[in-house]
Order: sequence, then C-alpha cells, then structure tokens
Amino acid sequence: MSAVIRLERNAAAEIWRVSDEVRWRLWDGEAVAYNGRTGDTHHFADFAAWVFGRLCIAPASCRSLARDAEDSVELRAGGAVGETITRTLALLQRLQIVEAVA
Amino acid sequence: MRAETTFLRLGPFTAALTTAFTGVVEALLRLYPAHFIARQADFADFHVSLLPGKGARRFFRRQARFLIDGHENFTPLPADQALPLVEWGLNYAIAGMAHQYLIVHAAAIEKNGRVAILPGAPGSGKSTLTAGLVHRGWRLLSDELALIRRDDGRVVPLARPVNLKNASIDIIQAFAPGALFSAKVRDTVKGTVALMRAPDESLARVDEAASPAWIVFPQWRADAPAIFTPFSKAAGLVEMGHHAMNYSLHGAAGFERLASLFESCGCFRFAYGKLDEAANAFDALAAAA
Repeated sequence: MSAVIRLERNAAAEIWRVSDEVRWRLWDGEAVAYNGRTGDTHHFADFAAWVFGRLCIAPASCRSLARDAEDSVELRAGGAVGETITRTLALLQRLQIVEAVA
Repeated sequence: MRAETTFLRLGPFTAALTTAFTGVVEALLRLYPAHFIARQADFADFHVSLLPGKGARRFFRRQARFLIDGHENFTPLPADQALPLVEWGLNYAIAGMAHQYLIVHAAAIEKNGRVAILPGAPGSGKSTLTAGLVHRGWRLLSDELALIRRDDGRVVPLARPVNLKNASIDIIQAFAPGALFSAKVRDTVKGTVALMRAPDESLARVDEAASPAWIVFPQWRADAPAIFTPFSKAAGLVEMGHHAMNYSLHGAAGFERLASLFESCGCFRFAYGKLDEAANAFDALAAAA
C-alpha cells in the first residue's frame, strides 16, 4: 500500500523556500538539515537533496525547479519531473523544512 | 563498615564518591594515578554514593547500590560488580549533567595534535580498538564519552579506565602486555568485564584539549582487512547525532557544532579484524595528514 502525499496548497502556483528555523549543510550532493521547530535532523540524498539544495540558494516555484531539474540532473525515479518535484516538496513540507512564501 | 568520601578526578570534573566498599577504593587507586584521588577537595561536580543493599536481601546476597545526588537510578547489582557499577554510574552522571559540552558516545584518541573521534554502538569494537591504539602511540582522550567544547569544538580529555568486555580483555592483554587491568568481573549484564588503566602519558596530559581531524565509525568483523572507507558527511552527522547524549538539548547550537566538526574533519567508516593491522592503518592515516 503506498501513501499519497499531497501538498497542502497549490504547488504549481506557489514559490517555495526553506523555513527560517531550518539550518543546513550541503556536502557532496547530499544535505543535512536541522529543523528548529521540531528538533529533528534530516539527511537528504539524491533528488530530495537536489531540490532542498536548490531552495537553499533561493526560493523557487515548482515550475522553475522542474526547468532546472531537466537541465541539470537525471531523475532516478522516472516519471514526470514536475510530479517528482511535487512529491518531494510535499515530503519537505510535511517535515516543515520548506514552506510556501506568503 | 564506615562510609568514607573519596574525591576522584575525571578529566575536567571531580566526583565525590562516598562508600564503605573499601575494595572499590583500592581498585580505583590502581586504576587512577595517586594525584587524581584525594580525601579532601574544595568542590565536586558530582556527589555519588556506593552503598550496600538494603532489606532482607542483604543477608543472603550482598548487593551494591549506586546513587547520584541521593537518587538511585540503577538496579542494585551483586556486590562483586561494584567497581564496574561505579564506572558506569560515573559515565551516567557525566552524560546526564555536563551539558556545557556536546557529549558523544564515542572514543577519542589523539596523535600529533589531531583527534580521531570514534562513535560506536556496543559491539562495534570501539573500546578494543581504542585500548589497542593507546598502546601504539595514540593518546587516550576518552573511551566512552567524547566531550566536545561548544565554543571551539576541541575535545577535552576524559582519560579514564577503558572498559573492556569478554574476548577483548584477553586480546588487549596479549597486544599490550604492560597494560594494567582490574580483576575480571564475571556475569555482568555486559558479560565479563575488566577495566584497563589509561596509559601514563594520557593521564599526564589530561588538561590538553585538542582539535578533531577525523570522525571514524569503527566496525569489527572477524578477518576483515583494516580499511578506511570515505563516508558521507551528511549521513555521518545524523549518525553521530544518534550517538550524542545531549544533542537534542543543545538544539540549533548542537547542530552547528556538529556541522562545523564535519566540515573540518575527514569522515570514514573503518572495518577491521586484527588490531595490528588496525594500528598500522591508523598510523598511516595520521602520517598522511
């Protein structure tokens, strides 16, 4: 049984950014993030690390992330880039690592 | 039996141990240098007691109870396990109270001014490796609890006896025939245990903190060649967080301290099966730095 992860808001229309309470490091294509809101530390690899790392540089929309992704990385998961980014953002949002810019 | 108080120096700390178990105090006198133990001191960070069992049980099976500031946090153990109970209890006191440090369940050893921090779960071979290396030119900073200063990330020595278990005792006694050991204590929750006194040079330099250069996650496997494998810093930080006793307590500052540590250190997994090969590999690591 697979869980369906949905963004709480309309991903395509939003600009996403790393939450203020999050501290991070990016090393060798991987990321580690500390969430001051929850006290949790997370390790992201592969595409999740890429999305998170991209948002660490600057807030971005799902569309611009997809455009950058198509230019710069090979997706392991197959499927549409936009769909994978949406899924990744939903995961990061659930962890309260990223949020939509108000 | 009349209880007396002994002040015991543990790295940057002083513990006041009150006990009537004279055999334990005599064993501590063999495991620590004479000047680390005193009858008088102006201040103690930890006040601990080792007391006999209470109730009817004490008449047919002698027990030892360990208390920290009057609180009994441990199940009483048979009296013949009193010495390891004291050492484990002191670790518990430090880990639970010394939050001026980021405390990691890890060994720490130093050579040429550079520290290797060795986080490891029980059974990883951490203590065996540490006991071997400190008899091959590395300085013991800690066997169980690496004390990392929050301001500059340097590791503060907590050179105390190394806790060895089961087959490791004979391995180290063969590897370092000059090492001093307590008597073996059998049938503990960890099996047979013995405490190895820290080398004199490590004890003499107990005030010298040093900077970490490597974070090494050891894993003993029978017949494994001694090999360092580069390990992801991001994964290493998360794993080290699991080994830290008070990481959560330090919040964002704890993360920043660990992150700075990983930024400045090499991060490896290290498999080994034989101590000689492990010592050679560590010497090569130090020489290459």
